[in-house]
Amino acid sequence: MSDASLPSAAAPARGLSTLRLQFARFARNRLAMASVAVLMLIVLACFLGPFLFPFTGEDADFDYILAPIDFTSPHLFGTDDYGRDLLVRTLEGGRVSLTIGFLGALVAGVIGVLYGAVAGYAGGRTDGLMMRFVEILYGFPYVILVILLSLVLGGGNLALFAAIVFTLWLTPAVIVRAQAQSLARREFVEAARAGGMTGWQIVLTHIVPNCVSVVIVYGSLLVPEVILSESFLSFLGIGIKEPQASWGNLIQAGTAAMETDLRLLLLPGTMLATVLFCLNFIADGLRDAFDPNDR
Amino acid sequence: MLRFIGKRLWDGGLTLAALVVLTFFMMRLAPGGPFSKNRKISPEVLANIQAKYHLDEPVWQQFARYVRGLLVGDLGPSMRFRDYSVNDIIASGLPYSLTIGFWAIAVAALVGVALGIAGALRRNTATDYIAGTVGVIGIAVPIFVIGPLAQAVFALRLDWVPVGGIEGGWRALVLPVLVLALPNIAYISRLTRTSMIETLRENYVRTARAKGIGETRVILRHTLTGTLLPVIAYLGPATAAIITGSILIETIFAVPGIGRHFVDAALNRDYPLVMGITILYGGLVILFNVLTDLLRGWLDPRVRHE
Amino acid sequence: MTAEPILSLRGLSVDFRLPEGTLRAVDDVSFDVRPGEVLGIVGESGSGKSQILFALMGLLARNGTASGAALFRGRNLIGLPAAELDAIRGASLSMIFQDPMTSLNPFQRVGDQLAEGLIAHRGMTRAAAREAAVAMLDRVRIPDAAARARRYPHEFSGGMRQRVMIAMALLARPALLLADEPTTALDVTIQAQVLDLIAELSRETGTSVILVTHDLGVVARLCDRVIVLYGGRVMEEGPAEAVFDAPRHPYAQGLLAATPRMADALTPRLGTIPGTPRSGGAMLPGCPFAPRCAVRVEACTLARPPLVGDGRRVACHLAGVPA
Repeated sequence: MSDASLPSAAAPARGLSTLRLQFARFARNRLAMASVAVLMLIVLACFLGPFLFPFTGEDADFDYILAPIDFTSPHLFGTDDYGRDLLVRTLEGGRVSLTIGFLGALVAGVIGVLYGAVAGYAGGRTDGLMMRFVEILYGFPYVILVILLSLVLGGGNLALFAAIVFTLWLTPAVIVRAQAQSLARREFVEAARAGGMTGWQIVLTHIVPNCVSVVIVYGSLLVPEVILSESFLSFLGIGIKEPQASWGNLIQAGTAAMETDLRLLLLPGTMLATVLFCLNFIADGLRDAFDPNDR
Repeated sequence: MLRFIGKRLWDGGLTLAALVVLTFFMMRLAPGGPFSKNRKISPEVLANIQAKYHLDEPVWQQFARYVRGLLVGDLGPSMRFRDYSVNDIIASGLPYSLTIGFWAIAVAALVGVALGIAGALRRNTATDYIAGTVGVIGIAVPIFVIGPLAQAVFALRLDWVPVGGIEGGWRALVLPVLVLALPNIAYISRLTRTSMIETLRENYVRTARAKGIGETRVILRHTLTGTLLPVIAYLGPATAAIITGSILIETIFAVPGIGRHFVDAALNRDYPLVMGITILYGGLVILFNVLTDLLRGWLDPRVRHE
Repeated sequence: MTAEPILSLRGLSVDFRLPEGTLRAVDDVSFDVRPGEVLGIVGESGSGKSQILFALMGLLARNGTASGAALFRGRNLIGLPAAELDAIRGASLSMIFQDPMTSLNPFQRVGDQLAEGLIAHRGMTRAAAREAAVAMLDRVRIPDAAARARRYPHEFSGGMRQRVMIAMALLARPALLLADEPTTALDVTIQAQVLDLIAELSRETGTSVILVTHDLGVVARLCDRVIVLYGGRVMEEGPAEAVFDAPRHPYAQGLLAATPRMADALTPRLGTIPGTPRSGGAMLPGCPFAPRCAVRVEACTLARPPLVGDGRRVACHLAGVPA
């Protein structure tokens, strides 16, 4: 009773499910909704946009080398030093970064949730062992681990994806484990066990679904993390390599030309920053909507 | 209290050991080596190289040899820079990395905590919103975008600081330190703000107010510890984040620190160097985690008496 | 008995700004507290009783506002700026809280927490304040007080922590002690000890006590006078014994009927009051208890019954009318 308001005087009597209520609350957050809109625009632009142009991001146009921004020319935002259209390259880079981002977050999330749910539900030594493993991995500075892993796995794009995913599942695992631990003590789990369900069945049908809101809230931060990882690895030259475009290596190329032409840096940089902003606001909005104690 | 310290040190040691084992075997599993990039070498030369780096011995023996080396502080020879040992390379780069890293953490902690407390005490005012904006920018905009932009503006256009490199004394450090600190300033300020708001809600703060000792005393004596505990807990992982960031910073600002060496080593598959730096970084993170745990134990009596 | 009251509440109201609108938690409450008396405020959860105490101490939540007057030694506590309030609270006006487990600073030694108030209010030196603290801990029967004073709160049990809180509150010899459900969070066996301690110490120092509780047994044990609160309004007020013997308000009657007593051991059913308390009750026209009242008439839902009487007051249109 030390704080804020007394129990609300108006209890919603309309029988909406909690999930729908939470999404409704999210919808009321204007910043988050605006971010969703902007994000969708960018996604559409990246996946469909390149089709609007007669050339690809890898076509070199020798008539226009290092052309500046010129909305009257066929190259709206100019070209790079190979004559490749900057806008198309940026959009194509977006495809790569966004795909890796969402896919990677999904895979890392699934692995993390399962790992955490099993550890939290099992408890005891199994949990101790599983968490010790997580602790050790956490001990590696992130970039070291990713680089090591991508080396071990051969260094190609698949290795990159696997390396990123393998480092990012840790946090969802830790969070879901905490949730699973408290769920495992609840009576309905006891009842399920008494009813003869096996451990796996319980984990999959009871524990995991009840972690949904926690996963949504913290998992939504995974997407920008994956995108960021891939980007800076590509920036360093360890990730997506030329001539294939990704925002990371485009930005890297942009820094090389920085003294004379900021444009090469700014276009992919702005797109990346915008996407990350949107994802962060969306994640914040989800957190506010699903976890009202956080006001 | 002693038991607490002992336990933390033991845990840290175990983690470090696991780190060494994992890294060693990961490197052995990794395909390719520095030699596969070069032209074909004659079998005699290959045999010589294998003998020099002990690659012809069984893996366990190689591992034992490595560990023995570790215990005396010898990280082995570099595979790529034939004339240098890993120790040499690390020694040359470490001072730069440590300096930048240390200042970045210091700035991030001080500025972050200050912004967070200001934001919490002056909720929903201009101060809060400014701090919040810095927060969002720092977290959302990546270092490798801010870094070059900062270079473009402050170094190229305004000429206040050098673009990169290590000439120019402390001025050369300004941009790298600030850019490296920024995401952590953002995170720490958010963390501090949330933590302070929560601490202000605690029942014991209410009790303190009820004693009529004055708001200043209430804030200073009764909220700071509670507020700072999660922040201190974050400093361990923050070190890891700084290390990650420093690799980027060194690349962007052309600082010859060990981060740069690490990336080069990775690209060139100089395994001993990769391993050496990994173990060094890992050890640093573990050390910092142990230190922050000890600090928390000192501040929070409940932890000590576990 | 006709001494100047130490605290006079006149029309105290507490409102909370919620996203859904304003909630009136305390509605036009008036009463006096005389020197040396123990006044009980009884009510169910959500009746606003704790908020009265918070309003007096200036500890309302950020979205709460108090209006009306609370004259304590001639000064109106309501609306007093925090800096001036600080001179009063912890000195002549103290409070103990409901949850001893979270009400003490876990990072500070117990003795220091006690000494803090003395240093701030009386300008004592640290050493002197610590000595006084140890003496007080001894007085509240904490064994081995000198050693215990150097310990941290988590090393104390719930009952002992509440004793520490009592020691902290009474150390400065306040004229009035506010106790917000001090025993609710404690084991039943400890409750009696803590209550007796409060009674004993307050008698010894001449401190008046306002004791907020939902437990009628506590009131019966300790209080000279009692106020029955419902929906933020006073329903009945009078000497504890009189109110218990013959409650005049339907709500008070219901409360007493619902309390199981030894004499009723053979009665198979417990009396209950149908319905649930609505925290927005104070905002309805008419009597807040009307929706659940067994004897209500039309007037009850239209007009607020005023609190009438002298020494023994009731707020009910049907008071004095034989049931």
